[in-house]
This record gives sequence, structure tokens and C-alpha cells, in this order.
Amino acid sequence: MNTTEKNNDEMTLGAVHDDDVLLEIKNLVVHYELEGETVEAVNGVDLTLRKGQTLGLVGETGAGKTSTALSVLNLVQSPPGKIKSGTISVCGQDVLKMTPKQLEKVRGKNVSMIFQDPMTALNPVMTVGAQIAESIKYHEGLSAEESVNKAAEMLKLVGIPRERAVEYPHQFSGGMKQRVVIAIALACSPQVLLADEPTSALDVTIQAQVLDMMRDLKEKMGMALLMVTHDLGVVAKICDSVAVMYAGKIVEYGTLNEVFNTPLHPYTEGLFDSLPNIKNRNVKLKPIPGLMPDPTKLPPGCAFEPRCRYATSECKEVCRKHTFGGSHTVLCTRYDDPEFHIELKRRDRQWQRD
Amino acid sequence: MIRYVVRRILWLIPVIIAVSFIVFLLMELAPGTVVDAIQSDDMTTEQREELRRQYNLDKPMIYRYGLYMLNFAQGDLGVSQVSKLDVWDVFMTRLPNTLILSFSSLIIGSAVSIPLGIFAARRAGKLADNAVTIFSLTGMSMPIFWLGLLLLLMFSYKLGLFPGGGNREGIRSIVLPAICGSLGMIANTARQTRSNMLEVLNADFLRTARAKGVPEKVVIRKHALGNAWIPILTTIGIGLAAQLAGSVVIESVFAWPGIGRLAVEAVTQRDVTLVTGVVIMTSILYVLVQLIVDLLYAFADPRIKAQYIKYAKRRKRVV
Repeated sequence: MNTTEKNNDEMTLGAVHDDDVLLEIKNLVVHYELEGETVEAVNGVDLTLRKGQTLGLVGETGAGKTSTALSVLNLVQSPPGKIKSGTISVCGQDVLKMTPKQLEKVRGKNVSMIFQDPMTALNPVMTVGAQIAESIKYHEGLSAEESVNKAAEMLKLVGIPRERAVEYPHQFSGGMKQRVVIAIALACSPQVLLADEPTSALDVTIQAQVLDMMRDLKEKMGMALLMVTHDLGVVAKICDSVAVMYAGKIVEYGTLNEVFNTPLHPYTEGLFDSLPNIKNRNVKLKPIPGLMPDPTKLPPGCAFEPRCRYATSECKEVCRKHTFGGSHTVLCTRYDDPEFHIELKRRDRQWQRD
Repeated sequence: MIRYVVRRILWLIPVIIAVSFIVFLLMELAPGTVVDAIQSDDMTTEQREELRRQYNLDKPMIYRYGLYMLNFAQGDLGVSQVSKLDVWDVFMTRLPNTLILSFSSLIIGSAVSIPLGIFAARRAGKLADNAVTIFSLTGMSMPIFWLGLLLLLMFSYKLGLFPGGGNREGIRSIVLPAICGSLGMIANTARQTRSNMLEVLNADFLRTARAKGVPEKVVIRKHALGNAWIPILTTIGIGLAAQLAGSVVIESVFAWPGIGRLAVEAVTQRDVTLVTGVVIMTSILYVLVQLIVDLLYAFADPRIKAQYIKYAKRRKRVV
């Protein structure tokens, strides 16, 4: 815990190059070009992920979280998706400049991804063992038999008996399928793991199990984890830093403590206010008014301005970034005024890791 | 699994009864009888009456049908009313020719249509895809006999590359009828492959496969086609069954001595036993091909296999 905190304190966004930086996303822009309109899904995202770090990428549906994660694998579906600009370096290599052959070598080996919906993420006509063995076969050059053997080991690692390797996905429950998806992602011990809402399709008890398992495996293998989620509870449980995403931009970034205890962005405040408070049941939920802006018609200034209760006329035009305490950054023009602060009302909440 | 197969085969009984009855009825309703076909001008009226009695034509149709089915139940398809040859023997001498032709069409058809469908699906909405769609529509709407005649005109009459009919020149004589027969199948199967591949190409598990670092070629061949080929199998099965049963036109155009042409010959001679025999045997072939396709499903898709197995297990537990 101590070392992680130290790491976080030292960290600044877009940090200097060193061996610890496993994933570095700079100014990523992803658009989906449909007939007659362009969905601006990701608009200039910068992220850095170090060895052993767990970063939570939080935001509501359509904020561009999944597009960001898919870009790291260069797997944004094209057409209609297109990575317009930016660099993504995984272990020092830019995945956006790679040939398909080079990409195949990096995917699954250096970086792999846990997909959102376990029901559809597995091939229904292949045994789960074969599906796990596949990446082992391509990346570690083992024989078919050795790969299958290692695949069975992976199953055991995620808590499924090895004998079940010969079964098909339809013979597994939802939670077990998600474990299989995790086993596939972990099969070649990747340095960077992208988890795209790995627990959203699961019920709460299984969620807790899967999260605990992921955290254990992550510590065992020493990976860097990018946890894409809309669930702040998941973030509190597993992450050590948080990036809040809104309309394709990271509006707030900081350590778990910073973001959860002193949120700076009005949107982050709104996210916390819309959570139920179990300690004081008389507090009413305060949903954020309005909807996410239409991603085909994003305003020139702050995208959150129409829903923001602190917004001024200036917010319509510009959106400036401010940094506090070295690492805690926020994308909000109102902080131009040194007196500005959002009203922190919910101090009775305590976020703790178990 | 075995129970299922037996049940499906038992379904043949009502099929045979219905098919043979319809054939009898149609032959009854059609003008002319076998006597008209075999009589000669110098026969007297008495001799004609005698012939009619021989073929039980003086009795009601239901009597002849009953008699036929009685023999059929004992495994006797009867003898041709015209040539007096055993129907089973005649059918069996012609069947290999039809099988050769059908399977040649099937192989050509699958070899062309599946890659074509995949090609179109991967370029969906682009020029190549539209070209394939137009080709498919043309192929489906072109009458086979007309295409056959065009092929004959071009490659046999004008260029002299292939014989104009028959099966006496080995592989050379099979090329034109096989191509002609495969075209309809290519059109159908290519469309089916395209739509199935399109569906599968957007599936989440392909993304999972790519994220694992599986080479693109393997992603398409193993993951996408592995799932898409299940409905394609049905189309091919229907295509093969249609080839077997619908060989009438192609075999007539190319003078190919198979069961289709046999049926046509029998109809023109009002040879009811031969027609009925050929039609019954063809229906049996048709049903068997469909059954084989359904069983292949179980090998292609473990979910369907599980259904068969579950069914068997459930039975055991109940008993």
C-alpha cells in the first residue's frame, strides 16, 4: 500500500519516460464516422499507467471509456471507427503505427483485454480450453498439447476445475464464463491488462468474487491494470488512481484518495451525489440534471457546461486544465478563480478498501 | 441420437405413402395411359381391351394403388410397364450417373460460393460486395435450361471444347452439366454465406479472438467460419437434395442418363410403375440427405449436440 501511494504522489500526468511506464496514451482522438455525422467518442485523452498500478477509468455510458480501451489494442472497429490522432505506447512501442503482424504479437502478449459481456465474448463452438490455449499457442510457441495443459492450469487459477477445459461455453454459468474470459486475458501473463466493465454483467456476489480474484491475480503477476467501469464501488475496491471521463475527455484525474475525498470537477461531485448514502437514509439522491451532450454535436467549450450548476458564460467557450497538489488535475475553467471550490457536502461518506 | 435417427427414418413412411399416392393420382388425371404408348396401329379393339385388363386399367385407380403398395411393402418396386425391366434395377443403373453429376455440382458450387460469400461479407457495402449480389441474383433468376443451352452453344457448338451431351467422354462430358447445375447453388449459398458471415463478423467473440493476438486469417477461418457454416450447411444440403431430385432439367438438356431423365422418359410413356418407383426412391434420397445434414449439425455445433445427448439422458432417467 505504501509503495503504491508513493508512486501516486510522484506521478504527474504525461510523465517522463522510464521503465515503469507500461502504457502511455497521448492526445488520443477516436471518431466514429457514420453516414452524414461523426460521433466524437474520444477527444484528446492522456493517460499513463505504471507497473503495478491500477487505474480506474470512470464515466457514464457513451463517455468513450470502451473506445479508449479498444484503441490500446488498436481494435476499434473500422469502419466506422477511426483513430484520428494520438500515440499509444505499450511497453515503449506505438501500437498505432504497427503492422497487423506486429499487432498480433503484442495483443494478448504485452496487453490483453477482459471484455464486458461474457455471454457473447466466447466462441460458442470452441471448447473453453481451446480458447484459452489459442493465445498460449501463438505467443509462447508451445505445442498443442502443452498449450492445452497450460490452459487447464489457467482455468484452475481462476477457480474452475481443470477437467472442465473440454466443455463448451454454453455449459458454463455467467460468472464462470467471465472467469474464462479473464483466464483468456491472463493466459500469457500480459504486462498491461485492460478490463472493460468486467463485472457489469454479473450479480453482486459474483462481482465481489471476481474483483477479489482479479486483484489477487494482478498482485501475483505484477501487471498494470486499467479498470474501465461506471461503478464507483468497484473503483473504491480495486483502484489506486482514478480518471473520470466525460464526453470523450478526462475531466478529473488523481489518486483514489484525492478524487474520492476531494473531488474537484462538478461532474465528479454529481456522480457522488447520485449515489445512495447507506449511513444516512434521509439524504435524497441528487441526480445530475440533463443528459450527456450529443456526441455528434459537442460544444466548443466545456461539454458539461449545460448541466453544471457552477457554469459561467466563459465555460461555453473554453475549458482549461488545472493541477492541484502535483498530481490531481481537473478540466474546469472555474478554477481560474483561486477562490472557487465545489460544495463538499457529503463528508460523512467514507471510502475504504477492504 | 440413435432414437432421433430412427424417428426421422420412420417419418419416411408417411412421406412415401403421400408421394406415391400423388404420383398415382396425377398419372390418372393425365390424358393417355401406358396402353396408348405401347399399342400399335394394327391392334384390334379386343387386343387393346386385353392390354387394358393386363394393366388393371379397367379397375379403379385405388385398386391399382393398393396393389402397388402391397408389393412395395414387400420390397418390390415392380417392373416397368413398357420395358418389363425391374424398376429397382433400372433405377440403380441410372443412380450413379446422377450422383456423380450432383456431387460434382456440389463440389464446384461449395468451392466457389463459400469463398465468394466470405469475400463479399468482408467488403460489405463496397463495389465487390454489390458485384457478388448482382451475380447471385442473376444466377438465381436465370432459368437452368436456358443457361444449359447457352453453355452448350458456346463451349460445345462454337468452341468444341466439350461434348454436346451424354456421359461417354468421362470427365470432359461432366464439366458443362456440373457447371450448369452448380450455378443456382452458387448463387444461393454465396448469399447465405455472405449474410451469415456478416452476422458473425460483428460478433464479440471475434474481437476476443483478435485481442488474443490470433492471426486474422485464423480469426476468419476458424472463429468466423466455424460459426457461420452451420446455416450454410443447410443451404448446401438443400442444394444437394435439389440437385438429386431436380436433375430432370439438366439431365434432359445435356442428355445425361441419370434418374431425372429416366423419370421424364417414364412419364412420356405413361409408365406408372416406373414413374412412381423413381419418385419414391428420389424422395427417400431427399429425406436421407436432409437427415445427414441435420446430423452434421450436431458435429458443427456443440449446442445442438448437447440437445441430442440431453434428450437421451432424460429418457434414461425416466425409464
